[in-house]
Amino acid sequence: MSDTQRITVRVLVYGALIIWTFVSLFPIYWTLTTSFKTAVNVTQGHLIPWVDFIPDWRGWRSLGLSPDTIGQVSTVREEFLKRFANSVIASLGAAALAVVIGSLAAYGLSRFDYKFGWMRNKDISFFFLSQLILPPVVLAMPFLVLYKELALLDTRIGLILVYTLMVLPIVIWIMRDQFDTIPIELEQAALVDGCSVWGAFLRIVVPIALPGMVAAFILSVILCWNEYFFAALLTSTNAKTLPVMVASQTGSQGISWWSMAALSTAAIAPLVVIGVFLERYIVKGLTAGAVK
Amino acid sequence: MASVDVVDVRKAYGSQEVIHGVSIGIKDGEFVILVGPSGCGKSTLLRMIAGLEPITSGDIRIGEKVVNDLPPKDRDIAMVFQSYALYPHKTVAENMGFALKMRHAPKAEIESRVRRAAEILDLVPYLSRYPRQLSGGQRQRVAMGRAIVRDPKVFLFDEPLSNLDAKLRVQMRAEIKELHQRLKTTTVYVTHDQVEAMTMADRIVVMHDGIVEQSGSPLELYDRPNNIFVAGFIGSPAMNLLKGKIKLNGKASFVTEDGIDLPLTSAPQGSDGRPAIYGIRPEHFALGGEAVKAEVSVLEPTGSETQVFAKVGAQKIVGVFRERISAKPGEALPMAPDPKLVHLFDKETGLRLN
Repeated sequence: MSDTQRITVRVLVYGALIIWTFVSLFPIYWTLTTSFKTAVNVTQGHLIPWVDFIPDWRGWRSLGLSPDTIGQVSTVREEFLKRFANSVIASLGAAALAVVIGSLAAYGLSRFDYKFGWMRNKDISFFFLSQLILPPVVLAMPFLVLYKELALLDTRIGLILVYTLMVLPIVIWIMRDQFDTIPIELEQAALVDGCSVWGAFLRIVVPIALPGMVAAFILSVILCWNEYFFAALLTSTNAKTLPVMVASQTGSQGISWWSMAALSTAAIAPLVVIGVFLERYIVKGLTAGAVK
Repeated sequence: MASVDVVDVRKAYGSQEVIHGVSIGIKDGEFVILVGPSGCGKSTLLRMIAGLEPITSGDIRIGEKVVNDLPPKDRDIAMVFQSYALYPHKTVAENMGFALKMRHAPKAEIESRVRRAAEILDLVPYLSRYPRQLSGGQRQRVAMGRAIVRDPKVFLFDEPLSNLDAKLRVQMRAEIKELHQRLKTTTVYVTHDQVEAMTMADRIVVMHDGIVEQSGSPLELYDRPNNIFVAGFIGSPAMNLLKGKIKLNGKASFVTEDGIDLPLTSAPQGSDGRPAIYGIRPEHFALGGEAVKAEVSVLEPTGSETQVFAKVGAQKIVGVFRERISAKPGEALPMAPDPKLVHLFDKETGLRLN
């Protein structure tokens, strides 16, 4: 390839990447800037701060998070922090539980042969994954009745349990792939070296599969953090999460864009942090085989 | 150190039996090699001794103690795997010390024993590296180090050299043998490579289709194979096996299917006309004399010796000669089998006749 050709290809590739970056980042930019706009700026479609609108703390003030309100008592802020805490607890709790249970299930599917009726390992794995096909709305009524009977309505425990169920198939699938890449000789060597079956799992298999576990954990956190349907259905005052609070900003007086944008920004901030700092672990965990 | 006794051990997967009553007695300090083609059950047998595979019936004893139901960790064995199975998240030193750590040995003792093993195996500069930073030969050494650190009753090797290149394999072969002479630990070693078996073993056990075909010292197996399978398996290039009949009128001889007479010193009484197999090793031919005329097809000179691929009638034979030969393909070369070194086998049973 000549130099001009190479440069042309470069320009095209980078051009495409820049356009895609813009498409991906624009909604986040818009959300962030809108949290500093007033009503006029939103309706007139002003985009660039200090150029076509003057930033204003109005959105953040309505959450009690602007510089002038942060020191004062604010019921909205308390509400927000409570929802934020609910989201954190539900996501982390469900992700942790799902990774523990899912890893054990996946290890079993990867290493032992099961017969459950006519189902073998492959069928069982597919059965787990097939649970994702069912739209959650089908389960709405049963869950409502079940949770009412078990007194789990509007509790964080209840949310953690339903979220665990929701992400478990994905965790099992990821972890089974992870364990499949670990040669069985490693565990056998550990058995000969003096480990029990559990010892070999905890001392040899888990450390090697850790990147995959981290990836499965992060993915679960993100999925749970975004979850709206079950949270709206099963919680009300106590255990309500951030997505439900964001959605409830569309009140009877029209949409208060600024406060919704501020709330959304606060809600996506943790995900942005995860994306920026932990993305390489996700990629590493999902792509690389553990051992050559 | 301990003896290992395998007594009438069977292994079945469902209704399919793959090991049919194998018995092997291994003396304390002996280096025994299980050899056979792939699928003969040698690895399964080794894994049963290790406790990684349950046995269907029979007994396995390590040092007089029946270990049938003991998990691997309680058998006091060490095993070297074909893939080495080094723990990728542990350094060389941690890999080697892992078994001692599992036995709650004091830290100082672990360190000194790992160091001693590393000195024996030339691994001292690599102790803090990870397995992925090592070459194939070094990994192999670490796998051996992991086994010797613990001073177990028995070493088990499962084709430990088959992932190495030819040169390194020869070198490691000598090193393993030297190590055994030094440590004198009872060793069971599995390989499909008969050269490895011949060069390293105190005793070879030839397995085939889940049974023991023959067991004995390397030269016993080479000089007096009990049956056609062992005859064909041990030795490289393989023994020539010619089909034909025994002839006993007057002097004993052997007639090939094409009617060519081959010399015999003796044959069993009353075996005249019996269909048999005439076995002669490639190196037991002499050139010239009262010879069989063999039609040369290919010559392979290697410098130190010459391999001759030829035909006797329609049957192919191989000869190995120290002399340099300049025959052309198609030419008739007089090749005389040494009658004293002929192996005669029954055609039906495959068992030795002389």
